[in-house]
Amino acid sequence: MPTDSPLLVCEHLRYRYLERFPALDDVSLTVHRGERLALLGANGCGKSTLLKVLDGLIFPEGGSYTAFGHPVTEDSLEDEQMSRGFRSRVGFVFQNSDAQVFSPTVREEIAFGPLQLGLSREETADRVADVLGMLDIAELADRAPFQLSGGQKKKVAIGTVLVMSPEVLLFDEPTAALDPRTQHWLIELVEELGRAGKTIVHATHDLDVVERIADRAVVFGEDHRIAAEGSPADVLDDEDLLARVNLIHPGVSPRGVTRC
Amino acid sequence: MVSAEPRPTAEPRPTGAAPAWLLAKDVAMCPCGCIGTRRRGSYLAKTVQAGSTVLGQVLFGDEMAGRAGLLQRVEPRVKIISLVWLLVVAGLAHSVGTLAVMYLAALGLAAASALPLGFFVKRVWLFIPIFTGIMVLPATLSVVTPGEVVWTLWHWHGAPEGFTAQGLHGAVRVISRVAVSISLVVLLTLTTPWVRLLAALRGLGVPKIFILIVGMAYRYIFLLLKSVTDMIQARQARTPGTPQHDRGARAFVGASVGALLGKSAQLSEEVHQAMTARGFTGDAKTLRRSRFHAVDAWYAAAVLVFGVLMLIGDHVLAHR
Repeated sequence: MPTDSPLLVCEHLRYRYLERFPALDDVSLTVHRGERLALLGANGCGKSTLLKVLDGLIFPEGGSYTAFGHPVTEDSLEDEQMSRGFRSRVGFVFQNSDAQVFSPTVREEIAFGPLQLGLSREETADRVADVLGMLDIAELADRAPFQLSGGQKKKVAIGTVLVMSPEVLLFDEPTAALDPRTQHWLIELVEELGRAGKTIVHATHDLDVVERIADRAVVFGEDHRIAAEGSPADVLDDEDLLARVNLIHPGVSPRGVTRC
Repeated sequence: MVSAEPRPTAEPRPTGAAPAWLLAKDVAMCPCGCIGTRRRGSYLAKTVQAGSTVLGQVLFGDEMAGRAGLLQRVEPRVKIISLVWLLVVAGLAHSVGTLAVMYLAALGLAAASALPLGFFVKRVWLFIPIFTGIMVLPATLSVVTPGEVVWTLWHWHGAPEGFTAQGLHGAVRVISRVAVSISLVVLLTLTTPWVRLLAALRGLGVPKIFILIVGMAYRYIFLLLKSVTDMIQARQARTPGTPQHDRGARAFVGASVGALLGKSAQLSEEVHQAMTARGFTGDAKTLRRSRFHAVDAWYAAAVLVFGVLMLIGDHVLAHR
C-alpha cells in the first residue's frame, strides 16, 4: 500500500532532446513508497523521458531530482557507492525489449545485473533459476534472445530487472505489442508486485489497464507539462481532459464505448 | 488495369479526412487474370535469401557446438592455445607430406567431434581456390619462379615459358598450409559456442573492451539483419511488377544504408542505457566459470607431442 514517505522527488524538471526538441517542461512529481503510479499521455509527450530521468540515465537541464533522499545527478552517480545503491534499488523495463536483451543467452542475460552489482556466481545462479521458474521460461534459458518471440523477449526483459529485486520498478509501455494472454500475465504480475510493497511507475497510453495497475495517475499534455493528476477512476471519467491531451478521440469514452 | 473512371478533382477538405482517391474502388489487378513475363530474382530478393541463410548457418553451428564430441569436451582456453601451437607447426612445416598428415589429423579430429565431414571439407575448400589459388597462381609461372617448365604456355626468344615444377611445388605447399590452418580454425569455431570462445579469449588476457565490442557486434548483427530484411520486404511489397535495377534501386540501397546507420546508432544508445540501468560500469562479468578437467590435460599433451613429432618428421623429410 502507498505510504506518505516520498521516495522519488522531481521539482521543475526541464529537458530537451538535442537542446532543441522539448520533452519535459516544468514537471514536478513525487512518488511515494509502495505507490503504483501511471504516467498517462499521448505519444511524444515526455513519459519515457521522465522514466529515463527517474532511472538516472539522462539528466535534466533544469530542476532537481532526488531519490531515497539523495540528489541524483551525473556527478553523484560517478560515486561508486551511490551508483551501486541506486542501480540496485531502481529497475527499468524498457519499451524496446531488443535493447534490454543483449547477452548471448537468456541465462546470461538475467545474470547480468546481479553480477554487475557484485553478487557471487553461486547466489546469482540460484536467483536466475528462481526467476526463470517464476516467469515460466526455464526452457528458454540457453536460447539466444534473437530467437525469441516478442512476448518471450518481454518476459526475459522483466526477468532481468526482477532478479535484482529492486525497490522501485519503472515500466515503459509495458503492455505495448503484447498478445492478450501475455498482457494478462503482466498485469497480474504487477498486481502481485504491488501487494509485495514494490513502488511501481508505468508510462502508458493503454487506458484499459490503468485502473488495475495504478493507484494514482498523472496525465501529461502534449505541451510536455503535467495536465492533471488523481485516482485512475477520476482521470478516466474526465473525458474532456483525456480528449484535450489526445488520449481519446472526442466522442469515444476511455472504456471504448462510443457516446451518443 | 486501373479503373477508367475520371480522377476526382482535388477539393479543400478538413484536416485528417481521407482523400477521395483513397476511397475510390480501383481494381489493383487485371480482371482478365492474364500474367506477364517472368524475370530472374533481383539482388534485393537474393539479399533476403542470404539473410535467412546466415541465420540458418548460425543455428546449425550452435547445434554442432553442442554435440557430444571430443573437442566439445575440451576447455576452450586449452583449444585456443593448442590451435596457436598447431598453427605455428603448420607455418614452420616445409614438406607437403607433413602438411598432408596434419590435414588428415584435422579430419580425424572433426570425425571424433561428430562434425559432418562433407560439410567440414566443403567449408574449408570452398574459399581456398578463390583466395589462395588466385594469389599463388603467378608464382607457378616460369617468369616468377624459374625452373623446369612442365607445361609450356608460350615461347620467349626460343625458350619455353609456362608452369614450372618448382612453382607448382611451392603453390601446393602454400595451399596445403592454408588448408591445414583454416581447418584448425574451423574446428575451433565449430566445436565451441561463441560465448565460451569469447570468455576463453578474455581468460587468456585479450582486453575486455575488445571482447565486449566483438560480442555485442555479433549479437546485434542479427537484429540489424532483420531490419535490412524488413526494409527490403517492405519495398518489395510496394513495388508492382518486376523490380528494376535502375537509378531508383540504387537510391533505395543508399537510403537503406543511411536508415540502418540511424537505427544502429539509436539502438546502441538504448543498449548502453539498458546496461547502465543494471549497474554496468565497464567491467563485464560472466556467469560460467571454466574449470580444467583430465581430458584437457590429455588433449594438450597429445597436441604438444603431435606438433613436436610433425616438426621432427618435417626436418627429416626436408634433409632427405
